[in-house]
Amino acid sequence: MHHPGDAIATEIRDDISMSLEVELAEVREFLAEHAPFSALSLEDLTWLVGRLTVRYFRRGSAIMAPGQDNNSLYAVRSGAVEIRDRAGVLVDRGSDGMCFGATTLLGGNPSQFSATAIEDSLTLVMDAATFARLGERSAEFAEFFDVQRSARMGAAIASQQLSHQGSAILKTRTAELATRAPVGVPLTATIRDGAVTMAEHGVSALLVMDGPRLAGLVTDRDLRTRVLAAGVDPAEPITRIMTANPLVAPPDGMAVDLLLDMVGRNIHHLPIVADGVPMGMVTATDLMRLERDNPVYLAGDVAKQPDAAGVAGAAARLPAVVSSLVAQDASAADIGRIVTSIGDAVDRRLLALAHERLGPAPVPYCWVTLGSRARREQALAADQDNALIIADEAGPAEVAWFEGFAELMVGWLAEAGYPRCAGDVMATNPRWRVRLADWRTTFRGWLQEPEPDAVLGASIFFDMRPVAGDSRLYDALVAEVRALAPESRRFLAHLSRSAVLNEPPLGFFRGFVLAREGDHKDTLDIKRGGVGAVVDLARVYALAIGSTAVSTDARLAAAIQAGAIAPERGADLRDAFEFISYVRFRHQAAAVQDGRVPDNRLSPAELSAFDKRHLREAFAIVRSAQSTLATLRSGSVS
Amino acid sequence: MGVLDRLLGRSGPDLATLPGALGDYARMPLPGKQAGLDDLPMLAIDFETTGLDDRKDYLVSVGFVPVDGDDIVLAGARRFHVRPPVGAGVGVSATIHGLTDDAVSVGIPIGEALDRVYAALTGRVLLAHYARIETGFLGEITRRLHGRAPKFEVVDTLELGRRLQPGSAFDEPKPGALRLWRLREEFGLPTYAAHDALLDAISCAELYLAQRAELAARAAAAHARPLTLGGVRA
Repeated sequence: MHHPGDAIATEIRDDISMSLEVELAEVREFLAEHAPFSALSLEDLTWLVGRLTVRYFRRGSAIMAPGQDNNSLYAVRSGAVEIRDRAGVLVDRGSDGMCFGATTLLGGNPSQFSATAIEDSLTLVMDAATFARLGERSAEFAEFFDVQRSARMGAAIASQQLSHQGSAILKTRTAELATRAPVGVPLTATIRDGAVTMAEHGVSALLVMDGPRLAGLVTDRDLRTRVLAAGVDPAEPITRIMTANPLVAPPDGMAVDLLLDMVGRNIHHLPIVADGVPMGMVTATDLMRLERDNPVYLAGDVAKQPDAAGVAGAAARLPAVVSSLVAQDASAADIGRIVTSIGDAVDRRLLALAHERLGPAPVPYCWVTLGSRARREQALAADQDNALIIADEAGPAEVAWFEGFAELMVGWLAEAGYPRCAGDVMATNPRWRVRLADWRTTFRGWLQEPEPDAVLGASIFFDMRPVAGDSRLYDALVAEVRALAPESRRFLAHLSRSAVLNEPPLGFFRGFVLAREGDHKDTLDIKRGGVGAVVDLARVYALAIGSTAVSTDARLAAAIQAGAIAPERGADLRDAFEFISYVRFRHQAAAVQDGRVPDNRLSPAELSAFDKRHLREAFAIVRSAQSTLATLRSGSVS
Repeated sequence: MGVLDRLLGRSGPDLATLPGALGDYARMPLPGKQAGLDDLPMLAIDFETTGLDDRKDYLVSVGFVPVDGDDIVLAGARRFHVRPPVGAGVGVSATIHGLTDDAVSVGIPIGEALDRVYAALTGRVLLAHYARIETGFLGEITRRLHGRAPKFEVVDTLELGRRLQPGSAFDEPKPGALRLWRLREEFGLPTYAAHDALLDAISCAELYLAQRAELAARAAAAHARPLTLGGVRA
């Protein structure tokens, strides 16, 4: 629309631009408080305000409709607007500051969505040229509307973890820790040769080499207890006193995991081995390099406790460690592994104490952990989930021995801050305290004759990891599962269906959590509809491709590797998982700081606009992966 | 030319023959009664004055923003202060509009202010809340400077507010019920902290959009014909 007055108005514009800037401050300040406009410079904001129009929509009126063109970006100034897809399914609902219309500006007309004012709404409207111009002016503005979510999720995670002072150990790889070149002797060496070599190099542990490969390990302590005290002739071959096939660690793991494992198991020397060839040695003295408040100390303290009460006392420091890790900007993956390692140390110390009281087990067994601990993703407020795999040679009397053992363990664990599992997934339950053969039968039942309800309850058993005892019992079981699972179509179909049951919410509307059905909830169950949704997806994919990976991140990586998930989708899911998990740990750390009991229920009030925006994004990634899975699987269900 | 003409400001030169903004305004035809509201050109305008009497009081600040149909066009938003006559001050009115003598003393001369208003108002309907102030001062100042005042086409949000009040058209609304901020509140429009001529003009424009949407919905519900300027003007 053109009026003769416009030309003069243009003339006037410049000489009063100063005063205009002041006047429209109200609109500018509003924009500055909301993303993505908050990323714009004052100059760009002022420029933008002069190009906006204001439009009013009465409650119930359509702003955009599917199949119709839209050439504007809208920002809600007041009121509320709802977005639905072609099928009428709610996609989003927002109030002050919500933006919509970008999909047609970027992806072309016509619109696939409807936008309806659900309250009387005042909107700020921007034309396509202004929108494009702002995208050129501000990378952050452009990124906000980018259809590629990956970049945004990654950036959101990075911005949560900016400073790394004091947490360098969390980023250190095992290879970097093993700086000393390994010292070794050949298999043909005598005990004296070994002792001389150790003295010359000033080391407390010696590798015994079979050519380039590691055959055994000899420590100062071995010389003391297995040679001097035992009266063995130093001229004997060193192979007689070495620990053959010692525990080793790969070079690409995280240093903190390794150290936690060492102190938790009370190991003082650990060779680092790549493809059978030793590259270095990590010793207990490497622990001295750690900061005093490092979680490794806690794991060490747990391992040193003389009784169950002492273990409980040490384990009570776990929430404070999580709080400190969050303060140090550790990633959720790091924190989950550390909480897991400390839990493992608690299990191992209590198992040793149980044997002190009850004596050795009559037959070999494997103590396995289940669920989040098995996935190395444990957070605070976690129940104990454990089971016993008993060697097949056990008769009824031997199996019965484990009842008292399990009762003792589960009771002690409850005292150590791991409440009894509400679903009774514990070694005290006679169903989960059986011989390997019985476990095989149970798993075969789940896999080959699946009942929907049984599969739902069984999913936790597919997240299993050996903590103590004979891990070959676990290996045998998992090998069978790995072989059977990919062929178990009906089981996978049931598992897929239950994996998409916990749908993450759409986002947040005012002070509420917005669910797909448009329901408003006061709190967000970040475990069920957030973290858990990704865990369930990753489990289905891992079992379908016959992977033995247990951690969610490793399962997703394996699924990408196997081509079961598109690389981009997989990367998005891993980022979404890390972000949601991180928000959960931050929520728990805040509770610890405030002296409250950590839980998994977040109130929208404790989330920043940044958190809400990126959670919404992460939820969208998860929901989209869920619907992909549902589509993929629907064909194979009979 | 009779007394009536003079009283109504219809004496003096034909404004359409004048050069400049006022002449342009007078020459440009205004939208007629039958004009639809969907793309009606309007100018929401607000005057800050030293009082209500257009003969004794002064105009101290002007704010306006164009409204094209359903769009408030912020690109056209303007505000300026007006320098008062020599020796006059804003007096106690400062407590209402917040403008001090210092602030308005750096304003533009009244003649220039008039040119800016007419330039923006050319071809447009004048939209204001309690428009009597704006039309009264604009007419009086124009008469003083140019001998006569032009015709305005006016939409008054206070009048529309009265029409939309529940109850009989003859019932007197409760005191304060028709204040700008009160009416905005009824439509859930945002509260503005500041109070100045431009913000009030924008507030008035936003209120108009809400009132227009309500009137349109009522007309549609009654299967009446779409609204025209004749149906909403003061």
